Amino acid sequence: MVIGRKRVVAATSEFDFREKGQQTMSSSKRPMSPYMLGPYYKFQITSVLSILNRLTGVFMSVVTAPLLLCWLVALASGDEAFMGLSTWLGSILGKLVIAASVFSFSFHLFGGIRHLIWDAGWMLEISQVRASGWIAVIASLLLSLAVLGAGL
Amino acid sequence: MQNPLARVRGAGSSGEGSHHWRSQRYSALILLLLTPWVLMTGVSLAGADYPTAIATMSSPFNAGMAIMLAGSLFYHIQLGLQVVIEDYIHIAILEFALLLIVRFACIVAFLISAIAALQLALGA
Repeated sequence: MVIGRKRVVAATSEFDFREKGQQTMSSSKRPMSPYMLGPYYKFQITSVLSILNRLTGVFMSVVTAPLLLCWLVALASGDEAFMGLSTWLGSILGKLVIAASVFSFSFHLFGGIRHLIWDAGWMLEISQVRASGWIAVIASLLLSLAVLGAGL
Repeated sequence: MQNPLARVRGAGSSGEGSHHWRSQRYSALILLLLTPWVLMTGVSLAGADYPTAIATMSSPFNAGMAIMLAGSLFYHIQLGLQVVIEDYIHIAILEFALLLIVRFACIVAFLISAIAALQLALGA
């Protein structure tokens, strides 16, 4: 029994669900839903793009949108405020934020288009979902590079 | 998606039926339609000096598009962050506080951008 219990505890700490019937599985270590990333789950374009869409959305909500707001307010405030923000945007940190914003925008744009297509009831076969995922990755990389190239 | 039966039953566990879901899609569609303007204006104003930026943003068309963008963007942000908070924050009081803060911040952000855009358009 002791050996069996030890085995279950070890399995629990690795999020292994093979011992589903055991009592120890109701411990607090048990995740609320399958953890789809990292070493616990096979790589799938679908789950990676799903979380990327969320992360890029949150990043733009917290960084990009407030930055756009600051730009507009600085412009309305006058020459000095606008030049101050422009100088910061020209710094290395500013350029990094712009590049991250452009990449996030492109990923979220094509990820969103994919969602709208699904919501219309189209391209829901798993092969189509995988294909549209890779198309979205390539398209967003191309758009990001085009925008960053044109903006430089 | 809006069956009269849903109203009788209290529109499901959310209490508001598919309203949030539909709003997220409609705001996404508006943002998608605004994307060409965002890209063109963004690229043309990258590294622009003050007079150029003022000239661009003082046109009624660009001011209108900026206000439209601010409205649909901050609405979409509110809806999106709401889902993220509801999914990952399981402490009831913290969840409630964050939802309120996000809502408030998005409304204020929209008001500030709309007023700034109007100020630029009217040359005040």
